[in-house]
Amino acid sequence: MPILESNSYEFISRSPEQTRRVGMRLGAELKSGDIICLEGDLGAGKTTLVQGLASGWGSTDPISSPTYVLVNQYRRIDDERFAHLDAYRLQNAMDADALDLEELIANGPLVVEWAPRIIEVLPEENLNIKMTWVEEEHRQMYFKANGDYYQKLLEDFKKSMLGGS
Amino acid sequence: MNEQKFPPARILGIESSCDETAASVVDDGRMVLSNVVASQEEIHAKYGGVFPEVASRQHIKTVYTVVEEALAQAHVGLDDIDAIAVTRGPGLAGSLVVGLNMAKGMALGSGKPIVGVNHLEGHLYSAWIDPADSIDEQEAPPEFPVLALIVSGGHTELILIRDHLQYERLGGTLDDAAGEAFDKVARLLDIGYPGGPAVQLTANGGDINAFRFPRAMMKGTWDFSFSGVKTSVLTKVRELRAELGESENDEDVDLPLKDLAASFQQAVVDVLVNKTRSAAQEFQAKEIVVAGGVSANELLREKITVGAPGRVHIPPLKYCTDNAAMIAAAGYYRFIHGHVSDLAMDAMPTWPLTEI
Repeated sequence: MPILESNSYEFISRSPEQTRRVGMRLGAELKSGDIICLEGDLGAGKTTLVQGLASGWGSTDPISSPTYVLVNQYRRIDDERFAHLDAYRLQNAMDADALDLEELIANGPLVVEWAPRIIEVLPEENLNIKMTWVEEEHRQMYFKANGDYYQKLLEDFKKSMLGGS
Repeated sequence: MNEQKFPPARILGIESSCDETAASVVDDGRMVLSNVVASQEEIHAKYGGVFPEVASRQHIKTVYTVVEEALAQAHVGLDDIDAIAVTRGPGLAGSLVVGLNMAKGMALGSGKPIVGVNHLEGHLYSAWIDPADSIDEQEAPPEFPVLALIVSGGHTELILIRDHLQYERLGGTLDDAAGEAFDKVARLLDIGYPGGPAVQLTANGGDINAFRFPRAMMKGTWDFSFSGVKTSVLTKVRELRAELGESENDEDVDLPLKDLAASFQQAVVDVLVNKTRSAAQEFQAKEIVVAGGVSANELLREKITVGAPGRVHIPPLKYCTDNAAMIAAAGYYRFIHGHVSDLAMDAMPTWPLTEI
């Protein structure tokens, strides 16, 4: 049962609004340098979750899909930048230098949609979230922490989820 | 209203904000002397998306050739140029710096002024480029106030332009851009890339009323949302596949592709046209501009033009997809209004039009 493992957590969202709220809770925990990897098919709710993550973190910019531009960066009043990368168009033949991941996480967290496509260039330690389409408005989210730091982050997030609705 | 008279100036434009490396020479913001674009679309199609070398490397490889070619095709040298306009943002940081550094180097070496241009501002000014290629058939430029719809793979924005360089962003997409919705639905239906032309081709002869996909009108705002219609197509495709007794990954499905594509295209175009027309009316815009790659869509062109109260300007496709002529055109209006940039300017990966 994944739900009993300390390094993972499962949640079923019943609406896009709920997905966004869950994102906001996790987003509030994010620090500069944190890496969140998202996987899931088209329509699984990845961008919706990121909208929550970025607004929970404190973005002052609107959050939209970066599929075409590859990376969006959202600003916060303290000048930190929340990087939102969409690896869909990168396929497997990645040119890591071009994206300059280090630069992206220097001043804020980084969230990667379609992370499995560029898994070779992403740090092994990260928080992975797998999203699955269940039915029209329901989406399953499976959180898995890779590394001690992210295990702690996941625990804090779980506490926040259990603490309120 | 009398047409304003502006001083003549010849601008070299350089654009490298995303996948395309482009350079162009434009006179007086309207007459295109050359327009060179190095695109990797064929490679993209092979991969069903943009090739990874999108960013810095490909731009570095091509930027010199593209700029030289633009000058050569215009039969001018750097000495004949009055200012160098370059895209400063928004876009991919690694890509933007290639064009910026090229422009800075040329400005430093030649002493010519440099003008930083917003990519979206470039899309707006694509409507000022004279669509006729000969000087005898010049068309009058758009008349203010103008209501502009920028609709592309990366953007869906409604902008009110009251006068040159005065932009008011009324709204934009809250999730997927319209062009992106086309790409994603084309992928769902497995009908090819890029999605815009693929959906349009497949929709040809399809029934627009076969499926009722939602039109997110976002009442009370000038914002757009295309994520819902995408998910709705996805849900319908799953349902149909289940009815047809086929598994999700079955390639050989007998889906009513024509009807799905036609109904989806109609839903997206309805929203774009309805909101643009309403905004034009609300803000008493004299004319409408539609720019960006999705303006190539024939249904959109037809629906937005037919019965419009004023002129509707839709630039030729070569000025709608990413190009440098539009950057030179916008650069011209900045230059003659005294908006010259500092050589120390940085790339602005995030740069809303309202913060120019």
